[in-house]
Amino acid sequence: MRRIEFYFRETAAGIRRNGIMAFAAMSTAFIALFLFGLALIIAREINLVIEAVTGNVQVAVYLSDPVRPDTVARLQTELQQLPAVASVEYENKDEACARAKKLFESNPAITENVPCEVYPASFRVTLADTSQYGQITARLACEPDPTTHDITCSEPGVLKVLDFRDILDRLSAITRVLRNGVLFIAVVMLISATVLVANTLRMGMFARRKEIGIMRLVGATNWRIRVPFLIEGLVEALVGAALAIITLFLVKVFVVDQLRGRIVWLPLIRNGDVLAITPWILIAAAGVAIVAGTIGIRRFLDV
Amino acid sequence: MISLQNVTKTYKNGVIALEAVSIEIEKGEFVFVVGPSGSGKSTTLRLLLREEEPSAGEVFVAGKNVVRLSSLGGIPKLRRNIGCVFQDFKLLQDKTVFENVSFALEVIGKPKHVIDTRVPEILDYVGLGEKLNNYPDELSGGEQQRVSIARACVNRPLVLLADEPTGNLDPNTSVDIMRLLDKVNKIGTTVVMATHDQAIVDAMRKRVIELDRGKVVRDQSRGVYS
Repeated sequence: MRRIEFYFRETAAGIRRNGIMAFAAMSTAFIALFLFGLALIIAREINLVIEAVTGNVQVAVYLSDPVRPDTVARLQTELQQLPAVASVEYENKDEACARAKKLFESNPAITENVPCEVYPASFRVTLADTSQYGQITARLACEPDPTTHDITCSEPGVLKVLDFRDILDRLSAITRVLRNGVLFIAVVMLISATVLVANTLRMGMFARRKEIGIMRLVGATNWRIRVPFLIEGLVEALVGAALAIITLFLVKVFVVDQLRGRIVWLPLIRNGDVLAITPWILIAAAGVAIVAGTIGIRRFLDV
Repeated sequence: MISLQNVTKTYKNGVIALEAVSIEIEKGEFVFVVGPSGSGKSTTLRLLLREEEPSAGEVFVAGKNVVRLSSLGGIPKLRRNIGCVFQDFKLLQDKTVFENVSFALEVIGKPKHVIDTRVPEILDYVGLGEKLNNYPDELSGGEQQRVSIARACVNRPLVLLADEPTGNLDPNTSVDIMRLLDKVNKIGTTVVMATHDQAIVDAMRKRVIELDRGKVVRDQSRGVYS
């Protein structure tokens, strides 16, 4: 108990004494962790869009109403036998409706006004070899309709085939570029934050070298000397993390929530998404503190 | 209590600070280590504190081979048994007299009730019982050195090392400090004092070890400076 009190008193004294440096370290940690979180949120948002547009499959084969169980069984077997197909999942009308409702949860305009019967049952196909997509259209005798650009099929029971390969490719390319770009900036900032925190610790140790000298002389252990500085680094990184998390929630409320309902088809991230990335921000902050602590106090490792 | 066996210390820059030095100091002794600057006095003290390692030979303090101690636990433990006093006092200016002394106990994890009894006790012992709440810059040089002795002794060390403790003090104050060190010695603490102060060595008539260019040139009980 007393030891903990000692550590925290020493840490508080260190941060006070080292005010401007500690502030710089916290700000950099904040910006770095904010960008890191932003990268994760962008990735989540784009995944939502992909899910909304494609249902996360490459090809959807929609069935015309009424759906007959024997047609479903026959078509599923036939599709599965195609060499290009990795897996085929059947989604009935109720499931399709439930998925749409969940996806557009934040757009009551859609969920309330579109009745469940509208959503068609479908086979959701994942391809083993995306270039062999033609096998599916050939098997179902489909042809592009010149007027609607839909691919309509003459196989009985099949309404149409939707090919998401292109959209999927483009969206993943966008995801990659955006996420990697922000992630790159975040990593650069995280490194800066680490160096700044390490430097703060080192300056703190320098400012208190006389005390440290006396502590060694009277037989304080290495850890007794170092722990206040390690806690200081951790506090600085965690303050940065807390600010970053708060700012991400503010961005969600003041930017994302303002868009809600304006672009009807666009599903948007929710509080839960921001909440889901906070552990990663805290882990990144802990990483900054650990690396900074290791670098910052290395000079004082020997007794 | 202290044993240097054939100790040689060569610094990285090639300077030979000590050459084949052997010294035995018994428990409860009071020993002056004298000699000109650069003769190896400070190196000897630093070896006992394990701030330096000998290049050759063995150093024993309180039965422990200090070279073999680990920095994790062994060295801090050794230092808890050794009090240190310096020419420049090494007091923390932003702490009071009480805090300067209690700091030494606090950082080795002594509980509060021990600190609250021992610190006033030792400050009373060195004659500063009235000045607990003063800051170092409000004290005279002699008083500051008393605080430093209190800090060195508050954990009841077996050995007290003093490096020129009277170097910054006028002769009268120096005599007072020597009386105090003698008092500390009388309660059983082994005292090793490196000094240039001829008057004091001559007046005390204790054992004198004289170093010159890294070698023991004289080891005399009840000796004088030269």
